Amino acid sequence: MAEFNNKYRFYIFAGVALFAVMIFYSLNLRERNHANVFERGVLNLMAPVNRTASRINNFCFSLWTDYLYLVEVRKENHQLLEVTKSQNTRLIEAQDALLANERLKKILELKHAVDTPSLVASVIGEDHSPSFSIFIDRGEADGLREGMPVVAAGGVVGQVVKVASNSARVLLLTDSASAITGTVLRSRARGVVKGKEAGLCSLEFALRDEDVNVGDIIVTSGMGGIFPKGLPIGEVTTVNKGEYRIFQTVDVRPAVNLPRLEEVLILLKHHE
Amino acid sequence: MNKTLKYLIVIVVALVLQVTLLPAYLDDPFKPNLLLIIVVFMGFRGEMLGGSLISLLLGLVQDCFSGIYLGLNGFSYLFIFILINQTAHRFYTDNSILMVLGAFLATQLNGLLNLLLLMMFSAAVGIYLPLLSGILPQGLVNALMASLFFAFAPLAKLEESR
Repeated sequence: MAEFNNKYRFYIFAGVALFAVMIFYSLNLRERNHANVFERGVLNLMAPVNRTASRINNFCFSLWTDYLYLVEVRKENHQLLEVTKSQNTRLIEAQDALLANERLKKILELKHAVDTPSLVASVIGEDHSPSFSIFIDRGEADGLREGMPVVAAGGVVGQVVKVASNSARVLLLTDSASAITGTVLRSRARGVVKGKEAGLCSLEFALRDEDVNVGDIIVTSGMGGIFPKGLPIGEVTTVNKGEYRIFQTVDVRPAVNLPRLEEVLILLKHHE
Repeated sequence: MNKTLKYLIVIVVALVLQVTLLPAYLDDPFKPNLLLIIVVFMGFRGEMLGGSLISLLLGLVQDCFSGIYLGLNGFSYLFIFILINQTAHRFYTDNSILMVLGAFLATQLNGLLNLLLLMMFSAAVGIYLPLLSGILPQGLVNALMASLFFAFAPLAKLEESR
């Protein structure tokens, strides 16, 4: 018997163990939807581990998804930047076109207002030193001649001085060589508007007793046969009459914003 | 560090991975069964009594986290352990290929045993097909995991150098 036990001990043990587990399994089938003591114990024991692992999982997952999200965001950011750049360019172009449209409209209004044949020209360059002048894209081929008056929407710009076949130079009224006869709009006092330094002009030869005040508008007098009568030249900024002088000193700020000129109107007929 | 403590650490790590991290990233049947690989390892190299008890416990723990039949894997793991343990002396158990093959075959056997027990004791007909179709891929995944385990696990190397 003892020999039988020794020989088959393992098989007996294995058989009994497996049978016991199978019985355990079959007994648990009835209560398979309810956790028994063992299951509750295991679940309770593993709950904190599960929680920690879940946090780690969530952290890793969020790290990964955030990373992917960031990659996507970066791509999207690049795309949006490109779109923004393109739209900004279009917006600037549109704004530029709008401004050009407004300027051209004013020039056109001026062209209709001036009872003289005229030609619109674009400013293609400028020269500040030693003389104040601009270059325009019209020349002899377009009928331009030296001495022709140049105006803009705001008023007088200057005179054509050097004409090439397809371009010309305009001496601005702020140049010291420029001289335009003008009249104070309010008091009709006369003088000669000459160029001065720093983009200003002065009304020369206005007698001391003439009525000239700060803020008065100077317009072309029509004398001299170059500019038609009544075009705005500028606004009086300072008046210095002095005590013993014959003429008063009058500073005039040009009516046209000369540094920002883009289109001008050339009056083709001399007013002689 | 003695062998028992190392076993304990490996089992706890495998258990934590099995019930927490792996289910979050892998779906059945491509989720490796680390507990079964440990059972295979113990079957080849462990002692009969302690190994049986641990295998049974691992199976029961597995049952707590998968399925509703407590004792299903407990029986299968115990059966697999006993089978391997009793045949291990016929093989050269230091060969890691044997372990990989053992993991694959144990997975097949585990699936078949589970299927048999379910057929015998429960009326869950709908579970047979997924169980059967998952046996082969899970066996391959377990074999792959076993090869990694025996290539890198310090415990396995320690046992091999023995």
